[in-house]
Amino acid sequence: MNDPLATTFCGLNFSSPVVLLSGCVGFGEEYTRVEGFSNADAGAVVLKGTYLEARPGNPPHRVWESPSGMLNAIGLQNPGAATVIRDILPRLDFDETRFFANVCGSTIEEYAAVTARFDDSPIDAMEINISCPNVDHGGVEFGNDPGVSAKVVAACRKATSKPIIAKLSPNQTDIATNARACIEAGADALAVINTVMGMAIDITTRRPVLGNNRGGLSGPAIRPIALLKVHQVYQEAGPLGIPIIGQGGICSAHDAIEFLLAGASAIGLGTALFYDPLVVTKVNAGIRDYLREHGTESVGDLIGTVELR
Amino acid sequence: MNTEARAHRGTIALEDACVLSQQRFDGNQFILRVRAPRCAQRATPGSFAHLTCDTSIPMRRPLSIMRADADDGSVEFLYKPVGHGLAQLATREADDIVSVLGPIGHGFDPDPKRPMILAVAGGVGIPPVYFLAETLRDDARFALLVLLGSEVPFPFPTTVRDESITGLPPSASHAIVDLERWHVPSALASNAGLEGCYPGHVPDLARAWLSKQSGDVLERVQIVSCGPEAMLRATAALAHEFDVPAALAVEEFMACGVGGCAGCIVPIHTPDGIAMKRVCVDGPVFDARELYPA
Ligand SMILES: Cc1cc2nc3c(=O)[nH]c(=O)nc-3n(C[C@H](O)[C@H](O)[C@H](O)COP(=O)(O)OP(=O)(O)OC[C@H]3O[C@@H](n4cnc5c(N)ncnc54)[C@H](O)[C@@H]3O)c2cc1C
Ligand SMILES: Cc1cc2nc3c(=O)[nH]c(=O)nc-3n(C[C@H](O)[C@H](O)[C@H](O)COP(=O)(O)O)c2cc1C
Ligand code: FES
Repeated sequence: MNDPLATTFCGLNFSSPVVLLSGCVGFGEEYTRVEGFSNADAGAVVLKGTYLEARPGNPPHRVWESPSGMLNAIGLQNPGAATVIRDILPRLDFDETRFFANVCGSTIEEYAAVTARFDDSPIDAMEINISCPNVDHGGVEFGNDPGVSAKVVAACRKATSKPIIAKLSPNQTDIATNARACIEAGADALAVINTVMGMAIDITTRRPVLGNNRGGLSGPAIRPIALLKVHQVYQEAGPLGIPIIGQGGICSAHDAIEFLLAGASAIGLGTALFYDPLVVTKVNAGIRDYLREHGTESVGDLIGTVELR
Repeated sequence: MNTEARAHRGTIALEDACVLSQQRFDGNQFILRVRAPRCAQRATPGSFAHLTCDTSIPMRRPLSIMRADADDGSVEFLYKPVGHGLAQLATREADDIVSVLGPIGHGFDPDPKRPMILAVAGGVGIPPVYFLAETLRDDARFALLVLLGSEVPFPFPTTVRDESITGLPPSASHAIVDLERWHVPSALASNAGLEGCYPGHVPDLARAWLSKQSGDVLERVQIVSCGPEAMLRATAALAHEFDVPAALAVEEFMACGVGGCAGCIVPIHTPDGIAMKRVCVDGPVFDARELYPA
């Protein structure tokens, strides 16, 4: 019998619907430091956001605990696409899981150039990050405008035949319109959602806690927001057969199943890893139990099956 | 994938550690002892663990390992709550379970070419230095002098030192009992009027000792240090002034603790310019010349 967790995503075989999220697992090998952790337990691992050239990222502090979540302002620290391809990808074990790049740019041309670089690499798919709240140019600035989002996706589409996933921001009025624009521009899949913009102030010094003043909120605090966005995007993407990686505060199999029912085909774990580095196997086991208890054959049978009132 | 590319794998353990004891000391200080055998086996001085303080506070807190006993599997931490996380940890009692992720990071790695180690630590920076003293007590390659500062009573018994230490003011008359037992000389500083302590900052004690050493001795000295940033900067300045190497253990806010988030960076000065290094897995110990260049 087939493994009920096994699924395909944009034609790629996934051992599990769990995807490890960009920026939370470095460049793919960091969490393997933890005894008992294996990338093989995840369907895919998304590498840290990557530009054409190296970037130092933001000054400290970069992370801050908040109620039921955290703020981050990493600022897309990365060594540049060429170094990632030359020095990092050869150290990854592509037999264990699928590795996705997270493509960033300050201009549309840069997004396309980074995509072209990864096209000529073992990377399995590319997530187009038009939703990072922690940089001044590109990121969410592009992602909040469906017209610009579509242009970025179209430029990346021309640069690769590998699957591309548009990563959408919750910091916009109508995420479904943006999703449609990205699909029409050639996105094979969508990632919903990136972090929600936020801020924290140290009342003793009267200065923002984060070195970049503002940051992105992740973790359980954003889960209900993310769930609704996934459901809204699914109304556009589902009928077109465009899969969604649902994410935002998922910490358990229960949370993951909510996202699958809302319309996600795969579910992302980011902040939850910081809480429990061995959460992946627990989520896998919990989904398996749920499928068995409900007589459901595979994860695919859950997607979008929420029954609205 | 070759063996070298896998060397880091499985080096950090995640354990549900049973609390063995929790002791409270004056000045809101706590010593927590837990059973975490896999962490205990691998811990080195300067390494730390990332602990869950309470199920209601899922973000972990980094704490230096002060003692690790590979035989009985125990690990000890000294901490001072700053906010709600460590305050919750302080309510844990014997038999409670605490999630311990560790050991993490590159600790102190003293160079045998410089056999005289001057250890300078303050406040909750004491644990790594205490661990180093215990580890090296029987190591014939090294001699240590431990200088500790605190603004609250030391959470260890102190005693009048038998022998005076050249260069140190007579007011620094006390030593830590454990360190005496290990034949590691120590001296104390405090601005809080503690008995047997030099009334001032711990780097002042270090300066007093360094300035009495000959050039020949200084060539055999290395400094290790952990504590508040002001203390680390003062220690780095001394290292530059006396031209001795110094290894400094630093702190930064953390999320993952295993190198995944790039949240805990500190700017490091390299020949190629500034590099953003992760305190958790690239540190927490860095070279003073790279951290705070002259
Ligand atoms: C490698 C390392 C070793 C450390 N060793 C010790 C030790 O042995 N004993 C000890 O008492 N303290 C140590 N600290 C500092 C300790 O981690 C912080 O004081 C603690 O995290 C504060 O948590 P809180 O719940 O008391 O405060 P809160 O105000 O609730 O903390 C809020 C957030 O800020 C973070 N934070 C605040 N101050 C610090 C800091 N100085 N360093 C890192 N994160 C911080 C917390 O982790 C938390 O995410 C160490 C820090 C690091 C990085
Ligand atoms: C520390 C940190 C760094 C992140 N870096 C990136 C990044 O480089 N690129 C990106 O597209 N998203 C990044 N994200 C967003 C996550 O990939 C994810 O979309 C978001 O955190 C929501 O999921 P979560 O609540 O499970 O963490 C980052 C998130 C965190 C917490
Ligand atoms: S805390 Fe995540 S990289 Fe150090």
